[in-house]
Amino acid sequence: MPPVPLAQQLGELSELLGQMCTAAAGAVQQATMALLDDRVRLAEQVIAGDARIDALRAQIEELAGDALLFHAPVAGDLRAVVSAIRSAGDVERMGDLALHVAEVIHRRHPGHALPAEVRADFAEMGRLAVQLARKAAEVVRSRNVLTAVELDADDDAMDALHRRIFGVLMHPAWPHGVTAAVDVTLLARYYERFADHAVMVARETIYAVTGQEPDAIPT
Amino acid sequence: MRDAYQEQLDSLADSLAGMCTQVADAMEKATRALLECDLQLAEEVISDDLKVDEIRTTAEEKAFALLALQAPVATDLRIVVSAIHGAGDIERMGDLALHVAQAARRRHPSPVLPDEVAPYFAEMGRVGVALAVKAGAVIRSRDLMTAAELESDDDAMDDLHRHMFTVLMDRNWTHGVEAAVDVTLLARFYERYADHAVAVARRIVYVVTGQMPGPLTV
Repeated sequence: MPPVPLAQQLGELSELLGQMCTAAAGAVQQATMALLDDRVRLAEQVIAGDARIDALRAQIEELAGDALLFHAPVAGDLRAVVSAIRSAGDVERMGDLALHVAEVIHRRHPGHALPAEVRADFAEMGRLAVQLARKAAEVVRSRNVLTAVELDADDDAMDALHRRIFGVLMHPAWPHGVTAAVDVTLLARYYERFADHAVMVARETIYAVTGQEPDAIPT
Repeated sequence: MRDAYQEQLDSLADSLAGMCTQVADAMEKATRALLECDLQLAEEVISDDLKVDEIRTTAEEKAFALLALQAPVATDLRIVVSAIHGAGDIERMGDLALHVAQAARRRHPSPVLPDEVAPYFAEMGRVGVALAVKAGAVIRSRDLMTAAELESDDDAMDDLHRHMFTVLMDRNWTHGVEAAVDVTLLARFYERYADHAVAVARRIVYVVTGQMPGPLTV
């Protein structure tokens, strides 16, 4: 049987990565809903669903390995394969971070993980995280560099929220004690890292398409 | 021709092992800066992180050149792909050492850590540095025994990490929320640093055996 043509393998890699990003978007959306409404069963679904994201990563790595082995691609094709391998690592991590959010809910059940003061901020962080992951899915499928550049700006909004939450925590009037502060610290960090990885996926695509590090792209 | 190829593979491993040495050094200094409130040392770690990023770029260029010009197969292909993964993990270890240094700088001249947790961070620093050094050794030797050692060293880090939370959640914690937030994040930086060292070792096990010994994101 002749090997699958490289163009077809590259198309499959994009498609699988897109599926991975969409799955990560779904995971963080469900994890956020579970967090806001203390829905422990939904949190358990997120925890159980992570295996699917891990399986997609393994599939991408195998396919990428085959592409390197059978076609020894060069230039832009080589960059596309390597960036798919690296992006799959980032998206797997996004899935893990959604899972970590779900684990906090699970750990605190039947109590509330989230004090009222920061509820709206986490709702917004969740919304941004879903948006970033969906945009990353679009970028890996379309290889559109302009959309990829947009992710950086979306991430700035996440960083601003992250800083805001620390302001609330550090305020002398914080009434919820240390346990809640520790949970909120970690939760905020999970969302911020989720967003960072989505940005890295976009940057990988920019690199694959243009051959340049994103910092060299005028925005 | 074959010799030049082998040299390229060795040079790639050297770059990665060199990165491990750099990030071990960074974490050693960052931990000292944290424990001794040494601002100058913290600044040094922060500015040296660029060196790690530079070696990563060089390592990736070497990996791309190998893939494009030599079209490696079998074990050699696995070596190059694992180097691409490893470079990402080790760069992240450098970033985490940088975060520790930034915490030391942010609170200077006040100590970041309450006295009662300082010894645990000294120990997390020691375990973290040892893991980075071992990861570098595994990259050079591809020795499976040493790779397996990283797993048990990482268990020690996880125990320390869990213990930190027990201390924080204790009702006798008297240091307030700000210190608790710092300790939470710092403990996480050390734990993630260790996880990345383990991921590097697992990739090497995969190179040698063709089997992944455990999940890649720990």
